Amino acid sequence: MKPTNPHDMTPEAIAGLLTRATEQLDNDTVAALRRARNLALERQALNQPVFALNTGHGIHWPTPHTTHQWMAMAALLIALLAGGISYWHHAHEHEMSHLDIAILTDDLPMEIFIDR
Amino acid sequence: MKQSTPTRPTPPGAACRGLAISVACLTLLCALSISSAAASPQPWHSLTPSQQEALAPLSKQWNSLPEAQQQGMLNVAKHFPELSTEEKQRFLSRLGAWSKLTPEQRQAARDKYRAFSQVPEDKREQVRRMVREEQAK
Repeated sequence: MKPTNPHDMTPEAIAGLLTRATEQLDNDTVAALRRARNLALERQALNQPVFALNTGHGIHWPTPHTTHQWMAMAALLIALLAGGISYWHHAHEHEMSHLDIAILTDDLPMEIFIDR
Repeated sequence: MKQSTPTRPTPPGAACRGLAISVACLTLLCALSISSAAASPQPWHSLTPSQQEALAPLSKQWNSLPEAQQQGMLNVAKHFPELSTEEKQRFLSRLGAWSKLTPEQRQAARDKYRAFSQVPEDKREQVRRMVREEQAK
């Protein structure tokens, strides 16, 4: 059989050769190929980003998948909440002390603002 | 055959664990900063000279004031050095009566003052004039 340069073959011819070759494979080889394919797929899954960004609706949200991701997300939300409360608390105290100073130093008598 | 070096992928949990720990530390810091705002009661002798000057009318009852009120007074005292002499006199003469009010009365007074400060300037001036005339009688 005349050796054929793969560069001279059409993709269809290569596909035909591969199909015929596959049909001639013994069961052990097919099983080994299947294992190799599954292993490759598992590695690909591990290489996915930490946060998968596709919700399938065209809008991308970082959605947690594993327990650690859920914990990180929960901790982040708690931190945001704590920060928000802390900010509100300080802002409220700041406003209160400014009003107190104003009442205690205004040239209007303090009594006109007080309900007895 | 081309030999590619197999690279072991980083487990996604490792990065997340680090993030979780750092965020947990942040949470703790935030919680601490909130709790530190509600300070424990401070005895009169532990106040700075500047705080004692501003809060002098309260020196006798200071140690028996509730923690929250102490904290509120200390916040107010921070601004004392910025006041003019006349304002300082008014402040010191009113502080005793102010501290004897209930928290609800103080809050009602703040609400009234806030509402008053939102009234147009000419109306406020009119009120000030009326009060001055009343006091002069």
